[in-house]
Amino acid sequence: MSTVEETIVVAVPVGTAYNQWTQFKSFPRFMAVVKGVEQIRPNLTRWVIGLGPVRHEFDAEIVDQRPDSLVRWRSLGPRLAHRGEVSFRATEADRTEVSVRIDLRSHGAADPRTHAGRLVRRALRAELGHFKEFIEGLGREGGAWRGTIRGGHVRPLGTEPARSRVPHWPVG
Amino acid sequence: MKKAPREEPDERLNVTPPKTWATGVPAVTHALEYSLAETSVRRTGLTLLTMNQVGGIDCPGCAWADPAPGHRHVNEYCENGAKHINDEATSRRVTADFFRRHTVSGLGRRSDRWLNQQGRLTEPMVKRPGADHYEPISWHDALGLLADELRSLDSPDEAVFYTSGRVSNEAAFLLQLFARAFGTNNLPDCSNMCHESSGFALHETLGTGKGTVSLDDLHHADLILVVGQNPGTNHPRQLSALEEAKRNGARVIAVNALPEAGLLRFRNPQKARGIIGRGVPIADQFLQIRSGGDLALFQGLNRLLLEAEDARPGTVLDQDFIRSDTSGFEEFSRHARTVAWEDVLVATGLTRGEIEKVRDEVLRSERVVVCWAMGVTQHRHGVPTIREIVNFLLLRGNLGKAGAGACPVRGHSNVQGDRTMGVWEQMPDSFLDALREEFGFEPPRAHGFDSVNAIRAMGEGRVKVFVGVAGNFVRAAPDSDVTEDAMRRCRLTVHVSTKLNRSHTVCGETALILPTLGRTERDIQATGEQFVTVENSMSEVHSSHGRLEPASKVLLSEVAILCRLAARTLDASAGIPWAEFEADYGTIRNRIARIVPGLHDFNRRVARPGGIRLPNPVNEGVYGTATGKAMFTRNAWQMLHAPDGHLVLQSLRSHDQWNTVPYTDDDRYRGIHGSRRVVLVNPQDVTRLGLAPGQKVDLVSVWAGGADRRAEDFTVVAYPTSPGCAAAYYPETNVLLPLDSVAESSNQPTAKGMVVRLEPRG
Repeated sequence: MSTVEETIVVAVPVGTAYNQWTQFKSFPRFMAVVKGVEQIRPNLTRWVIGLGPVRHEFDAEIVDQRPDSLVRWRSLGPRLAHRGEVSFRATEADRTEVSVRIDLRSHGAADPRTHAGRLVRRALRAELGHFKEFIEGLGREGGAWRGTIRGGHVRPLGTEPARSRVPHWPVG
Repeated sequence: MKKAPREEPDERLNVTPPKTWATGVPAVTHALEYSLAETSVRRTGLTLLTMNQVGGIDCPGCAWADPAPGHRHVNEYCENGAKHINDEATSRRVTADFFRRHTVSGLGRRSDRWLNQQGRLTEPMVKRPGADHYEPISWHDALGLLADELRSLDSPDEAVFYTSGRVSNEAAFLLQLFARAFGTNNLPDCSNMCHESSGFALHETLGTGKGTVSLDDLHHADLILVVGQNPGTNHPRQLSALEEAKRNGARVIAVNALPEAGLLRFRNPQKARGIIGRGVPIADQFLQIRSGGDLALFQGLNRLLLEAEDARPGTVLDQDFIRSDTSGFEEFSRHARTVAWEDVLVATGLTRGEIEKVRDEVLRSERVVVCWAMGVTQHRHGVPTIREIVNFLLLRGNLGKAGAGACPVRGHSNVQGDRTMGVWEQMPDSFLDALREEFGFEPPRAHGFDSVNAIRAMGEGRVKVFVGVAGNFVRAAPDSDVTEDAMRRCRLTVHVSTKLNRSHTVCGETALILPTLGRTERDIQATGEQFVTVENSMSEVHSSHGRLEPASKVLLSEVAILCRLAARTLDASAGIPWAEFEADYGTIRNRIARIVPGLHDFNRRVARPGGIRLPNPVNEGVYGTATGKAMFTRNAWQMLHAPDGHLVLQSLRSHDQWNTVPYTDDDRYRGIHGSRRVVLVNPQDVTRLGLAPGQKVDLVSVWAGGADRRAEDFTVVAYPTSPGCAAAYYPETNVLLPLDSVAESSNQPTAKGMVVRLEPRG
């Protein structure tokens, strides 16, 4: 396994940066390699990433999520196997340090000595730059999910989040 | 296309060794052979190539979920789905002339297979009191006759409205709306006989009536237990999901009383490796359990997991999850430790080593899915068994997590959706209040009859009108003689049907056949072409668009029949715009959107590719239970005891069968050809009972405090079933199942746990 880490400081409060990050579906708006994200459930997302005409799809489970603090995920299945973590730290009232760490599990893709490793690092740095540009330009988040995830289990905010309002009677 | 047969087939029983793999090329050839015998190449192509595609026909064959749009195969169907859809698309027709040539009593002596083979019903028919023939009747007169009969009842509760899982969401919603506006909650449905135990157990312990997994979870699971389920025949597309899971590294454990071919090896006919290769082994471990032993198995397994935690504290159970998301762990844990191994081993027929091997697989797996079907639900202790499965999942946090969860596998394509639409005799007040707000009438609050209680009430003369929308109630219901007697006591029996079945031959004083459009057919109403929606077993609601020309110009859609019936029956139509609903199904969905939680903005959202994925509250960390948490439960059980000289009989379906309808008398995976009147018995039991393979026997079921029931003239086949357990085909065995033999709390007939003896015939 090898690791890539990148950090950037964005000029918005930590809540704003975090809230925007929970809006995974918006990522293709500002990220270059993220072509599509489907939030299947609070703890399960499907990502399509690609460069040029090549597309790769993988599912990612959100393993831990703490508001204004971190999101930890891991890919499911054999494709693009990796784990990742993004953490948020307020350095000032309107300054937030965003750090992303990705552990890749195959092909030495994140080995900084290889061409592929340099590519991943460069892409990550560029995408964080895109995030900074996007959220600073907007100045406020486009939405928020403030629940918590622990050990892959969702801990909702409040007793009856909107998505849980579905028929609950027995089905034969 | 071949013509409909005039006579019953003259075939002899031929037994060959059971197959050890499922599907492959023979599945494709059998599906095509059957389809082309029923209809033309063009219609076969039109059905098969649009089946389960975005904007196409949802296969009415089963409720298995479709892969996400963009991930579907061009041929996204299975052998049995193909046979089923072309059984509906058949070019054969049942006309008024057919009914002139055949008496009702004569049709009553025909086999289920022969009746189905006659083709599609084409015009409304009535059997008048005292007559032995059906005769044509206009739609106006037929619906008027039914409306008059309903209005003449002393109480609305003297009518029952039965639904089968083929019915669309729109028609199901209208049926329950009509029944309640008329004044009754008598809404029995086919799920009373299939997965009622699942709904009760999941609702009690998790606060949801539905399974918690999607296809994605199966694909990402580390371990999948397939319990009391035969996917090779009843949900063949599940094999593709299991294959993908296995390619991602999952392990599969199958638990069944029979070594079904589909559990052993799968040759995917849509992949080169499945056509020329040996296929994929499905089950890594096969537990040949004694019928009804699943509760004991999971209790033994849960005890082993608790003991493993004792040995290595903090490594086995998900303590964080148990603390924050569950209730009742301590009581459960104390009870689980008292389970006696000798009882578990007798009840399961397994060795302790086999169960310890399962524990080891579980301990190696972070994500576990348990799938089950009627091998679990159709037992007296079906509900406690599923509660124990929930205990098992809770122990290691295998609920609410990606790649893990509970997967009741439902059969009929919209059986889940019909319940979502309110077809249930015990709907909660919140739903009834919403109906009142929307339509301005006061729905009845007293619970109505389910299937078993409806039969009882008809038999006792408390119900006088039976209306069945789709299905074959007489053959799906238990205790065939009692059910048929109950139907004959009705003043009026009505069936909204596509094809002829035995229910049409077991008539009340007056009987109506109201022929309807199939799901494969174009449905054109006043505002143009309509589509309907259905919900699969994984809570995905999507549209289905018919493509074929209807079997007859006279046919009405189920929606149209219900709207016209309601308008004729209810005073001033009770202020409900039935004509508007008939003209534009979108207006029905607008009402559903305001009443059924989670289906807001229904019309817009269902138009998206893939439709609407209804969330499961468990996956949102929400448990609508009595404690507000996922509930551990303590489950006591009594082993089903077969006295000396007796066996535990389970019913099953053949591979050439769809629900109550056999397409042929063959069951090629089990090596049975040419006859369905066979009883599969373990070779040791054949010897022990002093019988011989090929011998003719009567099956006699034993029921405490009741008369014995007899199914005559079965041939003994030595078959590798669990010792002490026998199997024979449904619906032929329904005659053996007493109406009173039901599962605790769910009232579901116990078709997998009948005590029988085999009496040699002279």
